[in-house]
Amino acid sequence: MKKLLLAAIFTLSSQSVLAHTLWVMPSHFVLSGEDTWISVDVSAANMTFVADKGVSPDSLRIIFPDGQSQPFAQHYQGKRKSQADHQLVAEGTYLIENGGAPRYFTLFEVNGERKRIMADKKAASSELPKEATKITTSRSQSKALAVVTVNAPNRTAITPKGEGFEVNFVTHPADYVAEDTIQWQLLVEGKPAAGVKVELSREGELYRNNAARIALESDAEGKLQFTPEYAGRYLLEASYQANTVTALADNERASLTLTFEVGVP
Amino acid sequence: MRRIPQSCIAIALLACSPLQAVEAEINVYIPQIETAQYYRPYVAVWIENAEQEPVKLVALWRKEPDWLKDIRRFWRKLGRSDAALVDAMTGATRSPGQYRLHWQGKDDNGQALPEGKYTLYVEASREQGGRSLQKIAFELNGKPYQLRAAALEELGELVLTIK
Repeated sequence: MKKLLLAAIFTLSSQSVLAHTLWVMPSHFVLSGEDTWISVDVSAANMTFVADKGVSPDSLRIIFPDGQSQPFAQHYQGKRKSQADHQLVAEGTYLIENGGAPRYFTLFEVNGERKRIMADKKAASSELPKEATKITTSRSQSKALAVVTVNAPNRTAITPKGEGFEVNFVTHPADYVAEDTIQWQLLVEGKPAAGVKVELSREGELYRNNAARIALESDAEGKLQFTPEYAGRYLLEASYQANTVTALADNERASLTLTFEVGVP
Repeated sequence: MRRIPQSCIAIALLACSPLQAVEAEINVYIPQIETAQYYRPYVAVWIENAEQEPVKLVALWRKEPDWLKDIRRFWRKLGRSDAALVDAMTGATRSPGQYRLHWQGKDDNGQALPEGKYTLYVEASREQGGRSLQKIAFELNGKPYQLRAAALEELGELVLTIK
């Protein structure tokens, strides 16, 4: 009995973290000078940029202006937020990415009870009990992004790789300015993702009654447009699902968050 | 038929080419600000053309390279991409007062700019203070005139005189 109770609690707590939004918050988005450092906060939270749960910073990586990917030099997991530091020696644009490998889970029913195991279709076929019915396997992947530029911007680190759910930065993040239009394009496996629902929120929700979140949807070419009224830091959240059947899953979900800064004109 | 002297033809050609001499004076004013700890502002003075491209960096007064990015528009438009120009034009920060800058209507390469519409920008950013951006839209058309931009928190009245 005790074991079942513990299992139930574990499931609930992992679900509540999943319901939170995971974002990264770099200490700076634009830097001048040489050999400068960056600190990045990571938190799973409900309110934009109000830290709630400190998740492991183990999968936080930094991609350099030459395209090389590295883990952060120093990191610490805190209760409310985690932090990672790295020295930015080269000039150019860096991509900060907190993302894991895709996760697979299989839902099934046994004796009228719904259960779940963390396994893809192939593994599930050997792990599932014989009486299992209504079996579906889902692939889930999420990542949190931010872009930082030291001196002159470049595009190597932010060019999409053509894998998974990605953002094509049509407008370079170092050029985001209030009252100017910012353009993004969402891609899945390198192809434009149309009809993806996106939400934009601005920092400071705790200090105003109206959150004033903005809902957008990517057009037929996967493109999104936003003309910010105010300078400040914003969060873009995008998620999509599709009934893509592969050898490992029957459907998939992917989500990403992008933390960005809009400068004064 | 009267023969037109060669010198007149030469002058006529000069009048409609970009090669007129421009004598411009830019008066920048750094205001006196009473505060517990006053730091001299970082100031950039530059000119953009009609396409909002920077064509001439007139002055840059600054100390540490780490804070150059806080002269926000200047950084975005030219500071971050042209380290050589920034180094060439860098001067020390200045105390409150009036400063007269001269400009001969030339770009960063010393070439005279063609007639047309331009904008003069002056941006000041002060540590533990604010950031002010002044701009004056003007035209290089061979005519003399004077234009002003109102004082802001970190910058006194800006005066552009084309002689």
